[in-house]
Amino acid sequence: MAASLEISGLEAGYGAVRVLHRISLRVGEGETVALLGTNGNGKSTLMKCIMGMLRPTAGTITAEIDGTRHALAGLSTEAIVDLGIAFVPEGRRLFPRLTVTENLLMGAFRPAARAEMRRNLAFCFEVFPRLAERRRQLAGSMSGGEQQMLALARALMSAPRLLLIDEPSVGLAPLLVSRTIDKIQEMKTGYGLSVLMAEQNFTQAIRIADRGYVIVHGEIAFAGDSAAALNDNALIRSFYLGA
Amino acid sequence: MDLLSLDLLGNALVSGLLLGAFYAAVTIGVSISFGMLDIVNIAHPAFIILGSYTAYIANTALGVDPILASIVLLPAFYLLGMAIYTIYDLAFERRGDASIRGLAFFFGLLFITEVALVLVFGVDYRLVEAPYIGPSLTLGPVDLPLRLLVPALVSLGLIGGLQLFMRHSFTGRAIQAVAQDPLALRLMAANPTRIKRIAFGLSIATASVAGAVLIVIQPVEPSIARDYIGRVFAICVMGGLGSFGGTIAAAMALGVVESLTSTFSGPSWSPAVAFGFLLLTLALRPAGLFGRS
Repeated sequence: MAASLEISGLEAGYGAVRVLHRISLRVGEGETVALLGTNGNGKSTLMKCIMGMLRPTAGTITAEIDGTRHALAGLSTEAIVDLGIAFVPEGRRLFPRLTVTENLLMGAFRPAARAEMRRNLAFCFEVFPRLAERRRQLAGSMSGGEQQMLALARALMSAPRLLLIDEPSVGLAPLLVSRTIDKIQEMKTGYGLSVLMAEQNFTQAIRIADRGYVIVHGEIAFAGDSAAALNDNALIRSFYLGA
Repeated sequence: MDLLSLDLLGNALVSGLLLGAFYAAVTIGVSISFGMLDIVNIAHPAFIILGSYTAYIANTALGVDPILASIVLLPAFYLLGMAIYTIYDLAFERRGDASIRGLAFFFGLLFITEVALVLVFGVDYRLVEAPYIGPSLTLGPVDLPLRLLVPALVSLGLIGGLQLFMRHSFTGRAIQAVAQDPLALRLMAANPTRIKRIAFGLSIATASVAGAVLIVIQPVEPSIARDYIGRVFAICVMGGLGSFGGTIAAAMALGVVESLTSTFSGPSWSPAVAFGFLLLTLALRPAGLFGRS
């Protein structure tokens, strides 16, 4: 019961502006893969293509979920989520005027998730005890860190096999960033997920990543097969640390 | 205060509360369309009058109880609502200019419905017959006319049922969420257009029952739809957009204020007092009585 994702020769853009150039990458079963790069290099565009929010102009996106292969390009966002692919978008996109519990139950909308709703809710409250304390609070009135926790938990409520997370660290204080990254790891191991995480906070991301890709100007500039390979790479040093 | 005016006060309070429950049923459809979907359906009262006339036909032609008939007709009104939303979505919402053109669309629907009813039924007042029109329960000095009590109970039942659906079903929660963030809804595997179509269908379905209770309470002719537009939106805003509990509370408050005003200072003052009450509420609580802000 796991999932993998394979992207090959993907090209996409907005109008005449091409943002992604022949992107190929893989997320294997049970892996956490980091997609690293600073702002404006195409991380979010790639995420939108996978989720059917932007139509690629070339290339294929294939997800294998519980033994069945699906071509994602051309499917609607709803259909992709319904396959068991959850997405935590940048900016979290919670329902601000629904309570914490109502947001979580919205996560379980897809029929396959409804059957597992109680178990998943208990798991979410176990991983994020703070959400259990705040279950009646409106999502819009919570702090940024709590909202990020809720966004992660809501994604988990859809009983996903594959979890995509766009910039979990954005807008959070450093201590909360490391706590959020820890929680992603806890969710992943506790729930048996495959994870693709776009992140610009390199040091935090590679703490939990098995592998990673560095994306520069819409191209994969470097594929690191281990956290160590990413850490030692000269390109990353120049890119992130200015050395 | 002497005994006579105490009696008057009690009767005014009770009939205000009963009237308020009926106002809530008239408003609940708008609480869904305007409060939850951001669709300014000012034609809603016209569909309520349509509901009055369908109940009237069932009552006069077939001898069926008007309220029972309106419940049987719920699916037909639901389908009508889904059809109207489909047109609205294709013509306006999808193109992104829903606000002002959408308002014109519903304004047009209001008049088309009204004119169609005039052409078919004329401008005479119509009324229905039912065993509960006429008798009253008497509780001490207070009269409970069944003509008001039955509609009030039916109205509260309608709203209670909808509230259960909104709170405890997946579709109901999606309806509450859809206007807050349609993209996020897609990420929950729900299609926002489908959810809105269902919600709008439900909103128009309530007009069937609201129309039947209206024609039980008072005789109906096509143009009285317009009398309800201001009242309905006032209650919806005063209660807090999208809050059913707030809608009931605001409707009852308005019913009582109108009833007290017309008992003690004459009916011509009651709209002014009612809207003064609305302004005061919004000044003190901008999100409405029970609004989530």
